[in-house]
Amino acid sequence: MIFSQIFDMVNIGIVILDKDLKVCKWNRWMEIHSKIPREKIVGKSVFTFFPDLNTPHFLRNFKSVVTFGNFAFFSQKLHQYLFPFETTEALGTSFRYMRQSCAMGPLRDEKNVIQYAYITVQDVTQLAAYQQKLKDLSIRDPLTKVYNRGYFEKRLEEEFDRYKRYPGTFSIIMQDIDFFKNVNDTYGHQAGDYVLKTFASIIVSNIRKVDIFARYGGEEFCCLLPETEIEAAMNVAEFLRARIESNIFQFRDTPIRITMSQGVAELQEGTVSAKSLLQKADNALYEAKRCGRNQVIRIDSSSQLSIDPPEDTPSPLPQQVNAEDIQAICHETLPTAQRDKSE
Amino acid sequence: MIKKILIIDDSPIARKMLKSCLPKDKGYELCEAADGEEGIRKYLEFVPDLTFMDLTMPKLDGYQAIDAIRKLDKDAIIVVSTADIQRESMSRVINAGVFSVLRKPMKSKFVQEILIRVEAEKKKRAGGE
Amino acid sequence: MGDEHEYIFSDEEKDILQEIMNIAFGSASADLGDVIDIYVELSTPDIQVLDVGDIPSYLIERMHFRQKETSIVAQNFWGDFKGSGILVLPNKAGRNLITVLDDDQAGLDTEPIAGQEREVLMEVGNILIGACVGKVCELLETFVTYTPPRVIHDSGNEYDSFVKSFDPSQAAIIMETVFKFQKVDINGLLFIFTNQEAIEWLRKALHNFMESYE
Repeated sequence: MIFSQIFDMVNIGIVILDKDLKVCKWNRWMEIHSKIPREKIVGKSVFTFFPDLNTPHFLRNFKSVVTFGNFAFFSQKLHQYLFPFETTEALGTSFRYMRQSCAMGPLRDEKNVIQYAYITVQDVTQLAAYQQKLKDLSIRDPLTKVYNRGYFEKRLEEEFDRYKRYPGTFSIIMQDIDFFKNVNDTYGHQAGDYVLKTFASIIVSNIRKVDIFARYGGEEFCCLLPETEIEAAMNVAEFLRARIESNIFQFRDTPIRITMSQGVAELQEGTVSAKSLLQKADNALYEAKRCGRNQVIRIDSSSQLSIDPPEDTPSPLPQQVNAEDIQAICHETLPTAQRDKSE
Repeated sequence: MIKKILIIDDSPIARKMLKSCLPKDKGYELCEAADGEEGIRKYLEFVPDLTFMDLTMPKLDGYQAIDAIRKLDKDAIIVVSTADIQRESMSRVINAGVFSVLRKPMKSKFVQEILIRVEAEKKKRAGGE
Repeated sequence: MGDEHEYIFSDEEKDILQEIMNIAFGSASADLGDVIDIYVELSTPDIQVLDVGDIPSYLIERMHFRQKETSIVAQNFWGDFKGSGILVLPNKAGRNLITVLDDDQAGLDTEPIAGQEREVLMEVGNILIGACVGKVCELLETFVTYTPPRVIHDSGNEYDSFVKSFDPSQAAIIMETVFKFQKVDINGLLFIFTNQEAIEWLRKALHNFMESYE
């Protein structure tokens, strides 16, 4: 009598499936959270009500449990949940569905032959929210809330590895706010912080969800665009350039305007490492600064030295930039008068 | 009529298990070998009516021994005993011209079944001539 | 050191243990093909009795490849038969397995590869270890409970503390098999450790098993 009470009393979901995946038992916790009473589901395949469970991953683990009698573990880290139940914990989480930690194990008959599998479901939404917070602290920039440099570099390495194996490519944009020091000196650090935060949020709202945008340094940012060739990346960069140039950063009573320089590079066959790609974009960024700022420069790797110096730049190429690799195409966007003023 | 049975398996325990599954009242004459090479030699000397063969053995493995024996005697009746009955392994075994497969761990009743089928096959072959 | 252990199992008991392991690993291979839908071949297991202190050097020697290039999945189990299972795979294996197991995981393209690989390794480790231990238990008419699998990184600390977790006063029986996935070219090692406590029970279980064949 006590045992049967445990089944319906505990704060855990318990489901028992037979070898054909039909539901044999559905405890009270499951009834309440799924809003499916046991009479409706017992005897039917679990996939009838939960078609999304029908994945090779789930089946593989189920078969393993009923064949070998081992246990299967579904952590919330990768799977988030097995059963889509709306979260009951409204406080402090941004999850729509309950995060679950589930386990599956074998059940035998009197002859010790495995006839069923049980699934236990635990609500770990609070835990997941906490883990998320912790993770954010380590991967995000505290001021702007975008990713930090460490995380960007890690993702860059991963994407580099991924793209070395699959077709397609990605591009990165290095960005630097022009004359940012002046903003701080002229308007104060609080204004500077405001500009950085607003700058970051403008960029974020104008790129895709899959793009990885990070704060690389004080006023330096970078963006990794997956599945993007350099032409498309240039278009994005140009669009962003114009957006930032035209935006009025209203800090209290003061309207502030800024521009940014950008360097763009694309992952290619000959790219040897993630770092070298980053270096290329950085070189392009440097060139953008040199060419007068508020513009976008791209790097194409070519063995041919072919440089078209912008018409109004009298100074020769500085030594640090590797002349062999640069074929600079300046996007001239500043009116001639302002170009003369640059640097 | 099955009179002589040859058991080829590198595990003495497996041989013991198989022997204990054979009915004692039929007066079978038994011979054992512990690897493929010895198995072939014994086959030639002993000329069994039925051979049980393990697949994974040192020196000469089961497949090679089966090949060699069938070359010597195309009518050899060979039963493979193995724990690994995956589709891939099985098709290879069947193509090698094996009479049947006995799954390990062996049970008396399955061994009996095989003996009955082998008796029937021998009768058929004798009748056919 | 090794001499004391000569008497743990008599020759006949060793033969029985060997045959049971052969059968267990062979039928695990067979069933794995159905469960993970990939043809897997497990080699005839090699059985050794070692002092726990000798395990690290033995592992390094058997693993052939250096520690840095391998991924290790470990899992404990308890019951009458108690011990650990360890799966050793070359680092690239995780990635190859992802593409072969090809399922909804692929949809998680936004998830960093390292995370996916880890999960795949744990899943495969869980299934392989469970298959072998499960079949042994089936033959010996017992069952065990498993702890969740974990991936042990090559960072010195984790590996060392894992090895240190074995009771140094005891001996370990190591059953080692090489497994090959046919669809993907991955070779790895599977070790099952059990210690002296389990040996008394194991000895009885071996004799029980042979009873029906006397």
